[in-house]
Amino acid sequence: MEILAQLVVSGIALGMIYALIAFGYQLTFATSSTLNFGQGEALMLGSLVGLTLVGHMSYWLMLPLVIVFGALQGVFVERVGVLPALKTKSEFGWIMTTISLAIIFKNVAENIWGHDDLTFPSPLPTDPLQFFGIRVLPMEIMIVVGALAIMLAVELFNRKSIYGKAVVATSNDRDAAGLMGINTGLVITFSYALSSLTAAFAGVLVAPLTLTGSTMGVVLGLKAFSVAIIGGLNSGMGVIVGGLILGIAETTTGYYISTGYKDVPGLVLLLLVLSIKPAGMFGKSVIKKV
Amino acid sequence: MVKKISIILAIAVAAMLPTIWTNPYYVHLMVIIGIYSILLLGLDIVVGYVGEVSLGHAALFGIGSYTAGVLNFQLGVPFLLAVPASIAVTAFFGAILALPALRVNGPYLAMVTLAFGTIIQILINEMTFLTNGPMGLSIRKPVFFGHQITGADYYYIVLVALVLTLFCVQRILKSHLGRAFEALHDSPVASDCMGVSVYGYKVYAFVLSAGIAGLAGSLFTYSEEYISPNTYNFELTILFLLAVIMGGRKTRIGPLLGAIIIVMLPNVLSDIELFRKISVGIAVFSVAYSAYAVVAGQRTLKQVTLPLLVTIGLAVSGYVMDNITDQRLTIFGVMILFVVYYLPNGIMGFLRSIVQRVRPQWIHRHELVLEHGDKHHIWSVPDHPVSARGFLLEARNIVMQFGGLKALNEVNLEVAKGTVHGLIGPNGSGKSTMMNVLTGIYKPTAGEIEFNGKIITGASPSFIAGEGIARTFQNVQLFGEMTAIENVLVGLHHTYRHSLIDVLFHTPRCRREKLAARMRAASLLKFVGLDELANEEARNLPYGKQRLLEIARALALNPSLLLLDEPAAGLTAPDIKELIVMINKIRGHGITVILIEHHMDVVMSICDTVTVLDFGQKIAEGTPANIQSDEKVIEAYLGGTAAAA
Repeated sequence: MEILAQLVVSGIALGMIYALIAFGYQLTFATSSTLNFGQGEALMLGSLVGLTLVGHMSYWLMLPLVIVFGALQGVFVERVGVLPALKTKSEFGWIMTTISLAIIFKNVAENIWGHDDLTFPSPLPTDPLQFFGIRVLPMEIMIVVGALAIMLAVELFNRKSIYGKAVVATSNDRDAAGLMGINTGLVITFSYALSSLTAAFAGVLVAPLTLTGSTMGVVLGLKAFSVAIIGGLNSGMGVIVGGLILGIAETTTGYYISTGYKDVPGLVLLLLVLSIKPAGMFGKSVIKKV
Repeated sequence: MVKKISIILAIAVAAMLPTIWTNPYYVHLMVIIGIYSILLLGLDIVVGYVGEVSLGHAALFGIGSYTAGVLNFQLGVPFLLAVPASIAVTAFFGAILALPALRVNGPYLAMVTLAFGTIIQILINEMTFLTNGPMGLSIRKPVFFGHQITGADYYYIVLVALVLTLFCVQRILKSHLGRAFEALHDSPVASDCMGVSVYGYKVYAFVLSAGIAGLAGSLFTYSEEYISPNTYNFELTILFLLAVIMGGRKTRIGPLLGAIIIVMLPNVLSDIELFRKISVGIAVFSVAYSAYAVVAGQRTLKQVTLPLLVTIGLAVSGYVMDNITDQRLTIFGVMILFVVYYLPNGIMGFLRSIVQRVRPQWIHRHELVLEHGDKHHIWSVPDHPVSARGFLLEARNIVMQFGGLKALNEVNLEVAKGTVHGLIGPNGSGKSTMMNVLTGIYKPTAGEIEFNGKIITGASPSFIAGEGIARTFQNVQLFGEMTAIENVLVGLHHTYRHSLIDVLFHTPRCRREKLAARMRAASLLKFVGLDELANEEARNLPYGKQRLLEIARALALNPSLLLLDEPAAGLTAPDIKELIVMINKIRGHGITVILIEHHMDVVMSICDTVTVLDFGQKIAEGTPANIQSDEKVIEAYLGGTAAAA
């Protein structure tokens, strides 16, 4: 029982990371109905850039710099990969370009930081805290708090500020928002910046716990997509619940079956959700008008 | 004839190649090119024809490889059994993936296939008892009649497989199946309403494609004589996609070109001297072509700047770096970006567009259909004869709710056999919603629909179309990139009863049905007055003609009930007169019609009964004369009450 509780706690921390990346998928999907297939690579770049910076400064000073880097990287993806494809209304186009940008980023990272996994120094003490016999790492607490904080910040921005209203208006109806004088192109660019920013932030949050390296992005991005689908691409609450489900499913699978299979439940869950309820457990299905 | 000779020549040249390049290394490269070509021909069915991105084909290739490998390694199954088994097993896995995955499309499908690829790679790695895990499997090339097949012999085996695959894929794509794949990509809604189930045919295409990947995979196993899980990774999937789009989608030569490029590319990259020469060559060509395009006014200077910089940058980078292999993935990525933006139709599409400019008569985008229609071939009996005694169609208490809005509220509709039933009402009154509910595009929130004695509520649009309800669309839904006659042939899809085997062997049955369908399609076009425009692409027709084409396509379904959604919109006054004659003829041949129309003269002159909707409710029903004097109807159309006026 204690082991299970321990697995659940570790699963929660992992799940919040998935939720954070999945949240990034939602941001761009809302404004432009596009997804960045390189979301995992945005996370990987964020964490590797963070690793390099952390050699020269403290973790806390590095955080804002990584966030700025993430935002710029998002803008780059949008300008090079998504914007031209949106202009020609080619779905095939942006799927292929974001994939190709992803492999370029991965390749560049390999050439700069090498193929091996690297350890990321933890900013917090690495001794676990004890709660009722369950060990919790301070870093795990920081992941949960940090992830919730940034999601909350984005939500508040969208609800309270006038710029946020522009984002919400664009998500509801891009054409109508454009006619009302909102620069929807800029809103889409902004959503990509936000999306890559959260991914880069997730990268420096998770790196001290796991390892970091150029190959970490692909599987994380894919599993976060499972979370986004399980939760629904338009449900904020959904990604948190989906993330937690997947995180816990993984740690328990890794312990009770085999660590080799730990990536399987998320992917199987993805296939299952899509075949039963494609709009996700919390998503609203949209009826296409003819 | 010229085509046949050139194909035979090409095969002969391919057969001669190993005698020219006798170096086993080159022979091996050619074998790999052949194997990849087979896979890419299959992948093109999904990517080119159905228009979906599959990131799972490396995994399917791996399943094919491992099926042959495991069968041979663990059980000693011979080559000639292992290869068909690989095809079957991979097709089966393709079906397992396609059945859930193809309920979604676009980015979802791409991600799901990627997830599938990852799972398969994990399974191959972990199921050590079967696959020997990361250690991989070693097997030998087959022995035929006591002769151990060598690398050069194997080249001919792959060549035969490639020619057979080319032949089969060509036949399938030129048949009614290929037309169905193109139709569902062009307009999914219209395909479903023509009885061509989008989901069903996507799964069909995917399974075919998977089977071909299985063939390629098994050939790969015997060619390499050693397989390990790491071969079938994400990079390979990306390479396959690059090859398909770079070679040119929807062509047979494109996949061959693509295969040559992706097989030779790593070799080019490992030889820095060769890379320098080729990249400089590409840069010179693109500078020359851009200069030509700018001078000829086809492109602006701004448009060509970025690709020029990229190609020149590529050439320069070759001289700056001594080792290009590590930058392999970046180069693939840049190539994909380049192809997507500047070469969307691939190399073949690019060459075609050049030829078309110089010799337009050489390019045939569509097969010309020259049959002349006549009056005897227009009509045919419905697939399901009308057996209902009273009403042909009864919709009871239909409620259709969108969020809080009730677009239809407890509507009853009874349509008598052999009549023209008008459905009118102001804009937004729920007429088109009713059409969509009747044809299965919307599932009603409540209520029941009985058609021809059968409850069809909740059935899929393609099933309902098969039962005998055909329709036209308010905002025209033609297959724009197909010719007029091809549009009608999609409507006649249900008359093709022959199987895949008949298609592959061109059996008499297949030819007979094909000929009958063409005759019928030509006659239907003549009926709506479009016989002169049979081989014109539908998107080039004027609006009014497009509406008439939709009627011809709907009649091809042999419907017992025809739903016409504003057929007179966009028609000129003389055309409207012809339309009235046409609808009367349709009724004369026993087809019941539901007509939505805003031209009251049309409604009043041909309808036997008229139903009036307003705000999702039925407000009146009766003969045209009664409707015209109904107070509620006048109120709905003119506002205010008749009494007050």
